[in-house]
Amino acid sequence: MTPPVKFSAFLILFAVTVAFPLVVSLPTYQNFAILVLMVAQLGVAWNILGGYAGQVSLGHAAFFGIGAYTSSALVTLAGLSPWIGLVAGAGMACLFALVVGAICFRLKGHYFAMATIAVAEIVQVVISNCDPLSGAVGIYLPLTPRGAAAFVFSGKAPYYYIALTLLAASLLVNHLIARSRVGYYLRAIKDEPDAARSLGINLPRLKLIALAVSSALTAMGGTLYAQKELFIDPPSVLGTQLSLKIALVAILGGVGTLWGPVIGAAVLVAIEECSRIFFGSSGLGTDMIVYGTLIIVVAVKSPSGIAGLLRAGVQALQARRRPGVAAPQEVEERA
Amino acid sequence: MRSLIRRLCLSGISLLMTTSLSYAETEIKVGVLYPLTGAAAASGVEEKAAAELAAAIINREIPAPPGLVAGIGLPNLKGAKLKLVFGDHQTNPQVGATEAERLITQEHVVALLGCYLSNVTATASQVAERYGIPFLNGSSSSTPLTQRGFKWFFRTSPHDELFVANFFDFFKDLETKKGIKIKTLGLFNENTLWGTETTKLETRLADEQGYSITEKIIYPAKTTEMTAEVQRLKAADPDVVLQSSYLGDALLSMKTYKEQGFTPRMLLANDTGFIDSEFLKTLGHDADFVLSRDVWSLDLGDRFPLIRLVNDLIRQRNNINFTGSSAREFTAVAVIADAINRAGSTDPEAIRKALAATDIPGQGTIMPWKGIRFDTTGQNVLGSGIIVQVQNAQYVTVWPLDIATHDIALPAPAGTKH
Repeated sequence: MTPPVKFSAFLILFAVTVAFPLVVSLPTYQNFAILVLMVAQLGVAWNILGGYAGQVSLGHAAFFGIGAYTSSALVTLAGLSPWIGLVAGAGMACLFALVVGAICFRLKGHYFAMATIAVAEIVQVVISNCDPLSGAVGIYLPLTPRGAAAFVFSGKAPYYYIALTLLAASLLVNHLIARSRVGYYLRAIKDEPDAARSLGINLPRLKLIALAVSSALTAMGGTLYAQKELFIDPPSVLGTQLSLKIALVAILGGVGTLWGPVIGAAVLVAIEECSRIFFGSSGLGTDMIVYGTLIIVVAVKSPSGIAGLLRAGVQALQARRRPGVAAPQEVEERA
Repeated sequence: MRSLIRRLCLSGISLLMTTSLSYAETEIKVGVLYPLTGAAAASGVEEKAAAELAAAIINREIPAPPGLVAGIGLPNLKGAKLKLVFGDHQTNPQVGATEAERLITQEHVVALLGCYLSNVTATASQVAERYGIPFLNGSSSSTPLTQRGFKWFFRTSPHDELFVANFFDFFKDLETKKGIKIKTLGLFNENTLWGTETTKLETRLADEQGYSITEKIIYPAKTTEMTAEVQRLKAADPDVVLQSSYLGDALLSMKTYKEQGFTPRMLLANDTGFIDSEFLKTLGHDADFVLSRDVWSLDLGDRFPLIRLVNDLIRQRNNINFTGSSAREFTAVAVIADAINRAGSTDPEAIRKALAATDIPGQGTIMPWKGIRFDTTGQNVLGSGIIVQVQNAQYVTVWPLDIATHDIALPAPAGTKH
């Protein structure tokens, strides 16, 4: 796409997303949109590490949980605003990520992925047995007072805009990193780690930067979850399933692309919600079968993710419009 | 791919249309959230069958068994039928909240029931509270659920603290009514959330009520070796071993007790592993004398014909027996129908008021409770657990004494063969 087309497409998208809760007033649909935004944000955050730096983490729930637990503990134990908790949680996750990263980045490939699963499990066990954090019982957050200061709202629209802002911020960070020197270094590390090292790129430091940024953004998503659902316990915010889901949206949508996780989230959440609403109450597990089948279909039809499929479509269209001009192999750089 | 999406959308729209068309004035919709897929699906499916049986009785599709007091019709809502709208929360708290919101805003349910798992009940009931829709919880036991100051939340089931407190009521009854004196306790609990929470409660209540804990062992769950732990218990030889274990650990401990020649004078287990159907299947007569907390037991039907009658109904329909959780969910549907009937309307506030005024005698339900009456927090104050004992390789109810089907039996003193 040419820059003006790209810009106007972006403007339209922006207008549609901002106007959405004003047009669609039904809470169920608004909630659906919030779920998409929240999952997309987590996928975008994961993508910084998993997509650009190529370090597949299957333990991102740990950062999500640290974010959720930090803000919730500050609310219930110290009476601090969740907004402070949002920042504190990001800081905590960042610190934790630096410690974990310093150790786990000694491992490569599958071993790194396995180590991240283990780290997330350890965090879950530790918090489950931590009395001040209500251990396994979980933290109940107060339903009142409500309002912007308390980060608790009666309606859905405020959550929507917060989720949207968080997603936009994550996309911006992602975009800036992709365009920066760090972004190029990260892609070099992903494709040819040995060549990158031989050129003098400080691998451990750059991976740590990617992990720190990724974890801080993931933790913010955790705080939003806690304030939206008002109850957290170790399985719901630190479970392995959540880690897998975060990785899945990015992989399904398109690893290492800016919009891939967003598309992946929209598709995954739609499949999840529709299959459950239409088939879920039967008690026969039909929804799960449909859900699994659709994911397999997407994975088989488009191994490079849905974003890859869309890009191929756009390129084919452009090639047809301009006969004689061969479709460029890679119109956009992978950003 | 594109046609697949189009087909999915079309089927979605048509389904939406049919659900909205089928909505009739004479149908009163109540939302029910159970884990119909995922790790707890086996329980969820049984609970669904129990809830459907309750609805069939309420709608007079099946004649109400004589003796059932609550949930036998909606005479005050002339001809209206109760329609249960089921949602699947997949054991995920966020899905529970999403489904609760969908049932309230799309299906327009007048009340919600569920969710079996405490953490899902926590988020789903919070949605009901925001919308001002009564939420009746039938089988979640986490204590804080009724300590949140919610206006719209009610729970018929006893909670964890009450269950552990039951152990000590049981000891008091043994002493005053059976002449069995208990002084020393040995705690033997696993180390995950449930075991550690139980240990805390047991320690506190033992201190408060003057029992001395002579040994306290928290062992790693899923351990493969318990010799050292059992030797410590054997050395302490408490009057009662209070044990919380999942199935694998429960079996391992029983095996180790036998190997080490340790017969606890009384082994009182905390539900779960000790009442799993595999426990008895594996151990047979080796499980004799084991006591366990439970919420419901089929042998209660020997003493209370109503329980037998209702269990026969679910056997005919679904070829299953009631369990502790499905019996409680059956009761929850009956209680909400009773409240809707007394409210005489589908207005949420009227239903909430009627729920708060619920007063159902225990004999009119299939639960071993004194009855159903809610305090200001929404907790049923007349509920309690029961204690079952394995006698002759079968579970029989031995406590509370007024509903017990059998007398408690104690193993012969150590050294003699039983």
